[in-house]
Amino acid sequence: MTKTLIGKRVLRNEDPRLLTGQAQFVDDVEIPGLLHAAFLRSDHAHARLLGMDVSAARQRPGVVAVFTAEDMGDDWQPGPPLVSPPPTAKDVLFYSRRQVPLVKDKVRHAGEAMAVVIAESRYIAEDAVEDIVVDLEPLETVVDLEKALQPGSPLVHDDLESNLAAHLSQKKGDYETARRQADLVLKRRIVIDRGAAAAMENRGIVADWDEKSQHLTVWDTTQAPIPIRNGLAARLGLSENQVRVIAPFIGGGFGPKMMMFYAEEMVIPWAAMKLKRPIKWIEDRRENFYATTQERGQIHDVEIALSRDGHILGLKDVFLHDTGAYDPYGLTIPLNTQCHAMGGYDIKNYSTDVSVVFTNKTLVTPVRGAGRPQGIYIIERLLDIASKELGIDAVEIRKRNLIPADAFPYKHGIIDQAFSPLILDSGNYWPVMQKALEMIGYEKFVRDEQPRLRKEGRHVGIAITPFIESTGVGPYEGARVTVEASGRIHVATGVGTQGQGHFTSFAQVVAQQLGVAVSDVRIVSGDTAEFHWGTGTFASRGAVVAGNAIHAAASIVRRKVLELASKELQTPQDELELEGGMVRVADIPDKSISLGELAARANPLRGAVEPGTEPGLEATSYFGPRYGATAFGTHAMILEIDPETMMIEIKRYVTVEDCGTVLNPLILEGQIHGGVSLGIGNAYYEKLHFDENGQLLNASFADYLIPSATEMPRIEVGHMETRSPLNELGTKGVGEAGTIPVPALFAQAVENALADRELEILETPLSPNRLYELWSQKEAR
Amino acid sequence: MRIEGQYTFDGPREVLWELLQDPKVLAACLPGTQSLRQVGEHEYEGEIGVRVGPISGAFAGQLTVTNEVPPVSSTLTVEGKGKVGFLKGVGNIDMTEQGPGKTLMKYTGEVQIGGKVASVGQRLFDSVSRGMIEQALGKLNEMLKARVASR
Repeated sequence: MTKTLIGKRVLRNEDPRLLTGQAQFVDDVEIPGLLHAAFLRSDHAHARLLGMDVSAARQRPGVVAVFTAEDMGDDWQPGPPLVSPPPTAKDVLFYSRRQVPLVKDKVRHAGEAMAVVIAESRYIAEDAVEDIVVDLEPLETVVDLEKALQPGSPLVHDDLESNLAAHLSQKKGDYETARRQADLVLKRRIVIDRGAAAAMENRGIVADWDEKSQHLTVWDTTQAPIPIRNGLAARLGLSENQVRVIAPFIGGGFGPKMMMFYAEEMVIPWAAMKLKRPIKWIEDRRENFYATTQERGQIHDVEIALSRDGHILGLKDVFLHDTGAYDPYGLTIPLNTQCHAMGGYDIKNYSTDVSVVFTNKTLVTPVRGAGRPQGIYIIERLLDIASKELGIDAVEIRKRNLIPADAFPYKHGIIDQAFSPLILDSGNYWPVMQKALEMIGYEKFVRDEQPRLRKEGRHVGIAITPFIESTGVGPYEGARVTVEASGRIHVATGVGTQGQGHFTSFAQVVAQQLGVAVSDVRIVSGDTAEFHWGTGTFASRGAVVAGNAIHAAASIVRRKVLELASKELQTPQDELELEGGMVRVADIPDKSISLGELAARANPLRGAVEPGTEPGLEATSYFGPRYGATAFGTHAMILEIDPETMMIEIKRYVTVEDCGTVLNPLILEGQIHGGVSLGIGNAYYEKLHFDENGQLLNASFADYLIPSATEMPRIEVGHMETRSPLNELGTKGVGEAGTIPVPALFAQAVENALADRELEILETPLSPNRLYELWSQKEAR
Repeated sequence: MRIEGQYTFDGPREVLWELLQDPKVLAACLPGTQSLRQVGEHEYEGEIGVRVGPISGAFAGQLTVTNEVPPVSSTLTVEGKGKVGFLKGVGNIDMTEQGPGKTLMKYTGEVQIGGKVASVGQRLFDSVSRGMIEQALGKLNEMLKARVASR
């Protein structure tokens, strides 16, 4: 291998296009005769649909069609179950209830789509939506998780006995025995509330049915174009090859753009076929607050048993998980919570029990973090409380419990989100924490600075939180790598891109193998016409699963290049090197041939080739890991609080990440920065307020606060590399890492800053108001 | 959302009660009222235009008066819906004489809103409703003073 490109801080290939407005997003798609759609959405969170009169809307000039559930006939089908527990899963109770394209009988959350208007313009469509007269009979709503499970509660799904959507218990070791041996048992209730993903770009779909070629093209802001193509084909009665789904540039995915089969994702292509006209729908921000999935609501009753010297003997967690009105995404989130509630600690006895609850709220599916931040929050909060109770330093109590480096692969003996055994493939936790301590100057701050600042009356706090992140799960991804006659490399892969820098990090992997410039590798992702095997971008798996598939395909192409060049240059392969787009004989620089020339010779226009020859310098390969690779890291922060206003200033923010082999530190840092931003939102700003009637009360960016430049600290990122043994590149995912530990870290820092009152923070997100309430309930020491 | 407050009127309780029985007076007092018709002994129907921050639109609905104890107290139930959402509310008014020619009205109520007016307007709804009540009671007091003067 020649120059090492993997791990280099290469500027992003895609940025010139993105920064100059030349990248195509769904809303940029313009087709002659394009129609526009608007949806009628329910104002009520729970109501029986008694009738709908769409006649006035149909008569409005410029309206082409109005469709209700009834108009869809047999094409009206609930969305597909995505990741239901496999039938082999033992002791799992799961009631699958999936979202519908348009409400037929009952509204189950505010904002659920009831009808669609297709018109010459969005303005006309919106006006016509207001012409529709709906007869809704409001029903009692199910909002509170505990009340939802009480007998006599109104039911979200009338055909079920209760609002219980699923139940799952898992055990490791014997918690009850551990508890009896403990010197300290702490029991707490921890409440985690709901937030939005709030991607910069809302969802959008353009569907174009070509009657003459009998072909459907759909541009969709999906993270999973291939499953959407396959699902659309199945539902619309088409061959998979008659459907092309393109996920172009997307302004942020963060989970909710996963393979949902949202109402709009089904209705718009269906209507385009019905009308034989192209249709565009672009979600507005208010719709996004109602109709795009959300996450995080859980209530935990958790108990930890410790020895006097701070060793965790056992952990027991009984929790409720809010899935909203439907549960298409199975148990992914609560399973992640169960797997992360032990953090990176060596916990021998664990008992965890989750009840998943239907409520009259927007659907819950993974949002960056996907159950992991909740798990980390729980264990880290308990350790902070234990540290105070036992008089053991916050760092020391963690150090004593971290899984030692020689214990990997570490088998937890419970199942993970893929219903596979939870195994932590590799790790080296303490050095990462140590590095974060050094970077933030923990010892010096606690010894010198903090006492000095406190004497001045300032409220400064420090916190440090290690965490783990399960990443890079299967089943598989694939890629095709082609050397073109121009000498440039074309790579096609199935995963979509939502800003992760795939066009650069994947290009580096290929350039490393083929000895070309990174800018000469063109990546196409998320277009089923280019590559149509794979699942999608989720679970921090792009660099791991697609990255390794691309690496495998590039390695085969490299072999083909060397074989052909060896013949052409009449030189043994081991004397050849690939560099600068050329294959050279190592000691004779003049004796060389370009990759482009080789590609042309591999695809001759005349003459005979040897039997069994494959044309071109091209290869397709796939990668599926045995199980997910587990990344880890530690975040640390110093913050100052003004107790009069509870406004905070984050003075220092340090992260140390170990996600195995780093492909591009620049891109990795970008992922961390974005993740931390959502984490800070989850900790102090971003909370969706539902009232007792299921009405969302802050569905705009005036009321729902996301961290902006003024709230974001400068983030110092450190790296360590523990290669994953599960794939050839040694990579682990990092897409969600930035978000996961932040609420836990923040709570620790706040308690530390306000140490003059014995605060115990057991909820997130906080807000200045809420923190003030908690603070004023406590007497100053 | 809870609404609570009080207002001191410059007139006797009986005259104020009389005014409150007249839909024309109510329509004139309530800001934004486009129509108000009496449809039963204690039932009214009408339309009212409301602006809450960026949201504005008309609500069509019913007003029902129950538990009447003339000239002291009554219960008002409001239900309305429109393109910007829906509204449901129950309120009680209670009037006591405060010396010669003065009446103190205390009011309490529970209002439930939904749809756009809730999701985007919630933050402002409290102050908007307070403003509307103040405005309505002020207007009612003017009409009360005029009625007293004309006697």
